[in-house]
Amino acid sequence: MSGALKDSVGSHKQKDWPKHLIILAFIFIELFPFYMMMQVSFKDNASFIQNPWAPSAPFSVTETYSTSAGGTLEKTRSAKWTEVFSGGVTPPAGDPTFQSGSLRFDLGVYKLTNWGFGLKLIGPYIANTVFVAVTGTVASLCLSILGAYFFARYKMPFSGVLWGAFMLLMLLPGVANIVPLFTLLKELSLLNTLWALIIVGIAGGQVFNLFVLRNFIEDLPKDLFEAAEMDGASHFKQIINVVIPMSGPIIGTLAILSFLGKWNDFLLPLIVLRDKELFTLGVGLIYLDGEYIKQWGQIMAAYFIASIPLIIIFLFCMRLFVRGLSAGAVKG
Amino acid sequence: MPIPLSRQKALREWRLYFFIIPALVLVATFSYFPAASAIYHSFFDWQGGDNKQFVAWANFQRALGDTVLWDSFKTVSVLIVFNLFKMMPSILMAVLIHRLKSDRAQYLYRVLLVVPMIVPSLVTLFIWKFFFDPNLGVLNNVLDFTGLKSLLVSLDQFFGWGVFFANVPIGWLSQPELILPSLFIWGFPWIGTVGVLIYLAGLQSIGQEVYEAAELDGVGPFKKFLYIELPLILTQVRLSLILLIIGTLQGYGLQLLLLGDSGGPGGRGMVPGLWMYNRAFIAGEFGYACAVGMILFVFILCLTYVNNKYVRVEK
Repeated sequence: MSGALKDSVGSHKQKDWPKHLIILAFIFIELFPFYMMMQVSFKDNASFIQNPWAPSAPFSVTETYSTSAGGTLEKTRSAKWTEVFSGGVTPPAGDPTFQSGSLRFDLGVYKLTNWGFGLKLIGPYIANTVFVAVTGTVASLCLSILGAYFFARYKMPFSGVLWGAFMLLMLLPGVANIVPLFTLLKELSLLNTLWALIIVGIAGGQVFNLFVLRNFIEDLPKDLFEAAEMDGASHFKQIINVVIPMSGPIIGTLAILSFLGKWNDFLLPLIVLRDKELFTLGVGLIYLDGEYIKQWGQIMAAYFIASIPLIIIFLFCMRLFVRGLSAGAVKG
Repeated sequence: MPIPLSRQKALREWRLYFFIIPALVLVATFSYFPAASAIYHSFFDWQGGDNKQFVAWANFQRALGDTVLWDSFKTVSVLIVFNLFKMMPSILMAVLIHRLKSDRAQYLYRVLLVVPMIVPSLVTLFIWKFFFDPNLGVLNNVLDFTGLKSLLVSLDQFFGWGVFFANVPIGWLSQPELILPSLFIWGFPWIGTVGVLIYLAGLQSIGQEVYEAAELDGVGPFKKFLYIELPLILTQVRLSLILLIIGTLQGYGLQLLLLGDSGGPGGRGMVPGLWMYNRAFIAGEFGYACAVGMILFVFILCLTYVNNKYVRVEK
């Protein structure tokens, strides 16, 4: 679609700024949770309760209180923004023991230790999840490419029946499966292993991947395959040298979708995994949420760390991401 | 189209079957077998172990009289209605972005819309759960700050709901009456990234002539939406409608994490999928859980049938 054509969509008489305003308002609210996650991750509980909305000011306040024993007690807290702007310390209301307070520039109010703690809390889970998601995605795509080649290249005997068998799965909702799947995994003694997640993930992703890849491989020019065959290339070689180079973007898109799906999965891991060392991100976050006394800063830092791998992927393949998500919507 | 083969050639190419066997074996083991096993075991009294007793239709009879199950279907239909309503902002957003004159801004907004997707959905869920927190939560703070809280309290006094009180923080997820409203508010402003992107893709097929003709006829922006844009994205809207209904019907992850495995206080957030999960993994009644799963499956199958019959997706 050319730019000129898109340019003239909509009315020429209407101004654009009200639309921008509405869109920005929506996007602002949409992104608000992530803003909160970011800024809370640098606070401890005390400064969070004192100032839940804005990021902390880079100042700390040292307050001196007199104690009943006659001595003094010093307390340090992060400064409020009003104190920073007025340059003075607001004394706590109704506390006669308060003597004096001083304001000073201090980057220590940003609790970087939250991040270290969050990483320690969630790092092993991330490692497990990366292992599951990467292994699962790669294996799943390899199998799908082989399978799609089988369906797309020749019309073999029984290929219609086999295709039907795969497509029928699109109609089967996964919800009724989970109970028998659990007992099946128990019998295969795969319970409480990461392999259970990987294998079930591979099986679950096949239908959609096959569906997309078959259509794509069928549209590749036949001459390429014939030329490769003339040169004596086996089917396997044809896949390596023709199919994979030609379908790079679509494979990338499928890989991202599959990776995202595995990254976000929590129901199966919740049922399958028991040992804390094996937890994937999903279960890990659920257990983190169940802790009784919550250090919100640490938890938010952990949440943010959980998003970092996806952020890295996003930065490198934004286009595939945007396209993949549109394609994923048609998945059904 | 794949090339048809003669029988001799096909026989010579028998090795090709090896390409499909791994996928086939995996799918048969981990998708077909559990499905078949679910049908089989729904006729048994089964605790998940080796002992099981054939009870014919008893599980289904019990399900027919199970008030929790039918209440959960009621809850899920309310949730479906909520979700239909929650589709609107995405459509509005897509139309607004589409009508912008500048390509640059369109692209920028698209990228900004994708940003929420890079945060794991569980994290989003837990941040929202944190928003609902009675004391520290953002929602109560916003209500206090904007004065909406006092409005709610006076409405409460007027109608006699007995839910909102002046000096008590609102327990969004702990008061039975507030479970459904909380699930409604959940995810505000309800912009679905995927939804907006597919609507935008649909909108892009509208030619410029159509808009020019409409302009000449003096059609206003709302009528333009009604007569030009909505008909063109109707396919996508219908598609996401069906996906949404099926997704809501079988989903229970949100309820499980937000409200716990018994559907929150008073069981107000109980949905059929969660009831199945609860019966299997909390009560250990695997056979009955399979039967509940089968009932749910029949509902979804009917919907999928309707979907395939009336909603066509152009490739």
